[in-house]
Amino acid sequence: MAGRLIANDRFLRAVGQLAVALCIFALPGSARAANNCPWINEATVSGLLDGQAVGSFIQGPVGQPSTCNFVFKPAGGVRMFTISVETVQDAHARVMSMAKGCKEPQEVLPAIGNEAYVCTTEHGKEAVAERVVGRVRDQVFTILISTTGKGDLILSPQDLKSRISIASEQVSGNLF
Amino acid sequence: MKIVASGVLIASGVLLIGYWMAPVRAQQTGAQPATSQGNAQSLTPPPAYTPLPKGVRPAEDTPTEREALAKWKAKAEQQTDADRKTFNTAVTTSYNFHYGVKNPFTPGNVQVQGEGFLQPGAFPTAEYCGTCHQEAYSQWRQALHSNAFRTPFYRTSVNILIRDKTRGIAFARHCDSCHNPIGVLGAALTEDSKVDRARFDADGLTCTTCHSVVGLDSTNGNASIKMGVPAVIVDENGERIPGEVPFSMILRHPERHSKAVMHDFLHTPEFCAACHKANLPSPLNDYKFVRAFTAYDEWQQSKFSQRNPLSFYTADFTTCQGCHMKRNPTTLPEYGAKNGTFVSHRWLAGNTAVPFYYGFDQQLNKTIEFLRSGDYLNVDIFGLKKAGSDDLVAPLGRASYSLGANDVVEAFVVIQNKNIGHSLIPEVRDLYEAWVEFTVTDSSGKEIYHSGFLKPDGMLEPRAHSFTNRPVTNEGDFVDNHKVWTIHSVAYDNTVPAGRSVLVRYQFRLPAYVTGAVTVNAKVNYRHLRQSYLNNIFGKDHPAYPIVELASRSCVLKIGENQPESPDPADNPDWMRWNNLGIALLDQFQYAEAVQAFTEVIKLRPLYVEGYTNVGLTEISWEKYGSARTAIRRALSLDPNSARALYYDGLLQRRVGNTEQEIADFRKVVEMFPQSRDGRRELGITYYQQHNNVAALEQFQALQQIDPDDLAAHYNLSILYRRMGKPKEAAIEQAAFVEKKVDPGAPTYSLNFLRLHPEISNESVPWHMHSDLQTEGGATANGR
Repeated sequence: MAGRLIANDRFLRAVGQLAVALCIFALPGSARAANNCPWINEATVSGLLDGQAVGSFIQGPVGQPSTCNFVFKPAGGVRMFTISVETVQDAHARVMSMAKGCKEPQEVLPAIGNEAYVCTTEHGKEAVAERVVGRVRDQVFTILISTTGKGDLILSPQDLKSRISIASEQVSGNLF
Repeated sequence: MKIVASGVLIASGVLLIGYWMAPVRAQQTGAQPATSQGNAQSLTPPPAYTPLPKGVRPAEDTPTEREALAKWKAKAEQQTDADRKTFNTAVTTSYNFHYGVKNPFTPGNVQVQGEGFLQPGAFPTAEYCGTCHQEAYSQWRQALHSNAFRTPFYRTSVNILIRDKTRGIAFARHCDSCHNPIGVLGAALTEDSKVDRARFDADGLTCTTCHSVVGLDSTNGNASIKMGVPAVIVDENGERIPGEVPFSMILRHPERHSKAVMHDFLHTPEFCAACHKANLPSPLNDYKFVRAFTAYDEWQQSKFSQRNPLSFYTADFTTCQGCHMKRNPTTLPEYGAKNGTFVSHRWLAGNTAVPFYYGFDQQLNKTIEFLRSGDYLNVDIFGLKKAGSDDLVAPLGRASYSLGANDVVEAFVVIQNKNIGHSLIPEVRDLYEAWVEFTVTDSSGKEIYHSGFLKPDGMLEPRAHSFTNRPVTNEGDFVDNHKVWTIHSVAYDNTVPAGRSVLVRYQFRLPAYVTGAVTVNAKVNYRHLRQSYLNNIFGKDHPAYPIVELASRSCVLKIGENQPESPDPADNPDWMRWNNLGIALLDQFQYAEAVQAFTEVIKLRPLYVEGYTNVGLTEISWEKYGSARTAIRRALSLDPNSARALYYDGLLQRRVGNTEQEIADFRKVVEMFPQSRDGRRELGITYYQQHNNVAALEQFQALQQIDPDDLAAHYNLSILYRRMGKPKEAAIEQAAFVEKKVDPGAPTYSLNFLRLHPEISNESVPWHMHSDLQTEGGATANGR
């Protein structure tokens, strides 16, 4: 149920995450959660977002997803990178359900985890986002890269696909 | 003409000055992350290049060009050094120096030129190299080396180590030194890594890791290399210029490019040994040195090295590269090609899992083709025995016999590791799965007996004869998920060393209804990786991984009388069939039968020296020295220079106290085979027993050069050094001996495992039978 909601409402979720991340970003350094994301490090995300990203890891309660949020705020917009990981019983079914909820037909992302799909492509005027859903064994992961920069040259729709593919390999590799 | 030449020189000078003026930033930071699914199509087209005619040397640089190049070099060095210092400042404070500041890469053996860590951006990318080497790039992209780090098969293992509560990522430097050296040298293996891993993880061993190695530290393995600061060209004095350079600079002086990236040792097995030999050192396992694998030593002991006089057969000298990097015609632009061919950068071997996972069909098909080529294995359904009779009907097809319904038949299947330069299976043999599938079917195809089948869940039935080993923990548990640091013992190792053979015995009953004939089929199957390990990686819902039939043999047994037939031209000649049986029986400690088999060889080839030597060495193992002496004398009468016979003669001379002849024999062996570890060891022992310390020392030191882990060398050198008043050296050797010798308690762990697993404990017994016949009490012959 939660998965379907997430999938159907993906862009709202992205905006929501962005708001959370902005709040985190606005906090003084000492108040931020430690950068101990288990699936990717800050330097790698910084490379993917082409700037010094700041990240946080939130360990979810039992049965809920854990998340890593990274934000980079260049002039004229915000670039964001989010990972969500959840352990579920029928992980394949969950991934398929999330993939079916994609606005556009999902595209198989080969050789990532047990299975992975490029699920969401949001190429709106206000934001550009690329999303991957996949799994490693019974761990379902979602990766989202987005930018609010209009005509962001770094995170252009074409470039996003390559970047999220690299991100997916990093994340799934650490989930194995 | 002069004007044209001057024009070219001026243009070259301008170009070089242009190089100097150009920013060198790219070489320091690295390009954009590589595309993991990349292929040659993703590369930029190669620049135009016309090789100089053979024998024509590139034009000498003009003073202007030399000056421009010197400026380029100075700038590149300055930039590389500055970047390295900045990088080290950024990463050092948070780096986990678990093994001390002086050992940042321990437990790996890798070393690096210069001070501190080496920034990943110092390594020119594969795409840069691939511009002119598109054939190499496209092959490498699908090969194991480029995928050495990122695959689920590796990541699952190393992640367990990283997540281990008492170890962690610092310990993973042991594995990543070979699987991801840029990461290790680039300070990525620490808890709070400040390094962008997307720049190198997907490329594993990229072009400029192997081609930047400037020296081999030893043949100890675990990445025993010295990495240079990557350079793709040298100047006119042979000095390396770090980082990427414009292609035109390389194309003008390809010989300088070669000098920077093509060291002679790249062609040697010792280079491969740097990573294809591994041990589990005490800093990793908190226990002691445990040998993990050593394909290099297996090669060295094989006939292909021509370094071991004791191999059963002989062959032309062939290196690792000779099998795994064969020349092939090029299909893509490749400026390193010679006569339209290029050495394979696919490194075809046994890994079908990685190309299967990534969908690299070309690599997968070529791997399967490779595994089935080369006459690597021979399967011989050698003979039959009927219950109640000791007569062996052999070689099958060459002898007459009769069979009837209800007969209980024992089939002798001999699997020969014929032309593999290492064992079947090599390296992490607990992860791979090669086994014998043996079937007997009636004339309608109905199965009478089947060993080595897959169960519905994809698992290999436990009773199958498999060429594997079983590493166990100190609790006697099988190390199922490659937690190598928990390995304390090996319950058994049923791999077949290079050049040797194994006898696998099957027992079945011909049913009462059977008429006509039955077909017996034996094949060696191979799966990369074993099912339980694949399940560890993916869970149980993964696709079935490829199973490759490596070799097979069938024969038809008539119910009734069977007459001799013409030899199968595809099979070994009869003498070799007997010889392989003898080798297999020797390894199973069946000395009497082994002597009988080798005697059959002599009957068929009376002038074959090795036949007599084989009888002799079997008799020595059997402690029948008198008859051994007769056989070895006969061998030496046929060939007085047979190093193999001389070696065994030396052992026999020692028995009777004929030291002079003993020394003469062993000396001759090491003269003919200077890298014979057995020859050196025995000659050293002889000198040691004669109190000839200097001569003994020389032999053991030479032995240590061949095999730095030889226990006899460590032990004897420790005593010899002490006698010679060198306590420091003696202490080092003594410590090495204690560290490397097998833990006397280890067999207990193996026995615990075997006691808990009766379904496969028979596999630890060299001489065992595969059968589904019921014995008294209802158990099958293999204990199930």
